[in-house]
Amino acid sequence: MKDMRRCKAKKMVAILMVATLTMASLAGCSSNKKEITSNQTQETTSTDTKAGETADTSTEVRAVMSNEEIVKLAASEGKVGNWGLGNEYEIQALLTKYGQPITYLSQAFDMDGFDDDSITLASAMTYNELGLVKNSYDGAYNYSDTVGTIDMNDEGVAMLEDNIFCTRAFAEQNPNTVKAFIYASMKGWKYACENPEEAAEIVYKYGSSVSAEHQLYMASEVKKLVETDINGNTVTELGKMDEAAMSQTLELAKKYIALDDKAAADKLSKLTLDDVRDTSYWEGATASTDGKFGTPEKASVTIQLKWLPQAQFMGYYVALEKGYYDEVGLEVNVVSGGGDISETTAVSNGTVDFGVTWLANLIAANSGGMDLLEISQVYQRSGLVLVYKLDTFMK
Amino acid sequence: MIKRKKNIFIRFFRNPKVQPFLSVILPVALGVLVFALWQTQILHKILGTDTFTLPLPSQINRIIGDNLPKIMLNVKATVLVAVIGLAIGSFIGYLIAVLATVFPRWGAGGLSIVAAFNAIPIVALAPVMTNWTKDVSSDASVRSMVAKVLVVMIVSIATMSVNAYRGLNNLPEFSLDLMKSYAAKKRVVFFKLRLPNSVPYIFTALRVGVPSSVISAIVSEYFAEYITGVGRQIRENIVIAQYATAWTYIAVACLIGISMYCILMMFEGILLRNRK
Repeated sequence: MKDMRRCKAKKMVAILMVATLTMASLAGCSSNKKEITSNQTQETTSTDTKAGETADTSTEVRAVMSNEEIVKLAASEGKVGNWGLGNEYEIQALLTKYGQPITYLSQAFDMDGFDDDSITLASAMTYNELGLVKNSYDGAYNYSDTVGTIDMNDEGVAMLEDNIFCTRAFAEQNPNTVKAFIYASMKGWKYACENPEEAAEIVYKYGSSVSAEHQLYMASEVKKLVETDINGNTVTELGKMDEAAMSQTLELAKKYIALDDKAAADKLSKLTLDDVRDTSYWEGATASTDGKFGTPEKASVTIQLKWLPQAQFMGYYVALEKGYYDEVGLEVNVVSGGGDISETTAVSNGTVDFGVTWLANLIAANSGGMDLLEISQVYQRSGLVLVYKLDTFMK
Repeated sequence: MIKRKKNIFIRFFRNPKVQPFLSVILPVALGVLVFALWQTQILHKILGTDTFTLPLPSQINRIIGDNLPKIMLNVKATVLVAVIGLAIGSFIGYLIAVLATVFPRWGAGGLSIVAAFNAIPIVALAPVMTNWTKDVSSDASVRSMVAKVLVVMIVSIATMSVNAYRGLNNLPEFSLDLMKSYAAKKRVVFFKLRLPNSVPYIFTALRVGVPSSVISAIVSEYFAEYITGVGRQIRENIVIAQYATAWTYIAVACLIGISMYCILMMFEGILLRNRK
């Protein structure tokens, strides 16, 4: 009797195993097929565009929709993506510009949603996600020339991004430290922009979240954001706070930062540039030729980045590596960001002394009751674009 | 032996007529005390924080009042996910427990695998589900809803199946022998003995399941494509440093959990009135 049961049990196990194996193999089959077909379509599209290019440039221009049509189509399908969490204001401004509702899909921190077409108009930073979409190295999607972009600067809805900030109180109490920090950081940025390859290697050495190739791509793209303003003009004074671009950012921020707290919303509507930035420290730092600002009040300082260690922040890593911080008498500790405890909070409660954030996030934080002060604007133009596949938006 | 007269307070507290009232009054009193300390900022001094990081109840109250329609919209999204997920998950969980009881040889082992699902962190499960449900619908709000419900469901299955299994098998002593002595068939044993015996265990599972379904719903909203829900609002507001608003939504999340728990207790009171 017992043996019989055991036998039965064995049989059932065997049947189950066979069933799972067949299921697994069938599942494998179907996904393989999918891959093959997607590869095929990709190949055909790339050859198509190549043919178009060689045939006539005018036919290619006619083939793809205008930015306005693209935005309208994607918005009507509800397939515009952004990460949210304070990164969405430029996209909302663009949607408003073309008369669309300001809703968007929550985009994950990879481009899979764009790859599988659940998001047809996806947010991307020129130096990061766009590279992943276009390039062919490991971890990238290899779309190369089959994608187009909508640039926030060209559309007139650019908002300034990566800056350096601290609390107003810290700046007032430690003016020498602040100036010395800006001076050395800008020296780092200058060197990084002149030698992007070396900067990428340095960042990679300091604990990288991405591959060396992507780091290099990022360095070359970040260089453009640091050295070009929103109108496309070259910037020679790195880190300057351009009045017009700052005003545009503040204006858009007031329109699109939606705050449920009425007190905060009131404060936001009354905010002026003087509430969020002070140019005197940067001016003091750039006026100096030797980097001597008197004894720093606080010699050991920490800066928290907005994201993981990558070439987006190459200036600070280069300054660290080249000893520029040592030269001005500062011992600097670079802390990576990316958690949900944002850099604004960390700076505001004194966990760190300096932070890198987007100007819009600083404006929101100050509306909410913080007293943060931008002391330098590293990125002179918006690095945010909307990326789309050309064949999705053909006329 | 001398019987010492007990203190009047102790006698008062031990009085069976006073007991039920006390079990309500004491927790409420504690709650009121915490709120009083909070509003008067004594709590801030104890915790070493400020009104910016931990806003006053009056401020939270004001924000709730100012944004009631928007908050209700988010509450609706979260509650819907939690309730649907809990209902489906608990149903499947109970079915698994029944299967495990019917096939005891496989049951215990299978159940431990199901229980292992409980150990999967929601933060890991939520993005996976979001990716899995990409093909469910072209409408982002629908597929996000499915993804969130799936997360809640998986969490609920584990709690329910383990508890229901216990209810179906931890039978009163000798009751099974008694049934056997009646020559009762397995089916009769199941419907007359096991099923009724499992009802209180279902409620035990739900007591754990209701709060965890709300938590699962909130966390899975973090990763959902379609932006809605109390959890998403908490995250958005914390990241853009709007702590007062974030705390408002945290308070709302607490209220959702508490009211769902109260509703459950009411059902339990009605359904289990005749027991014990």
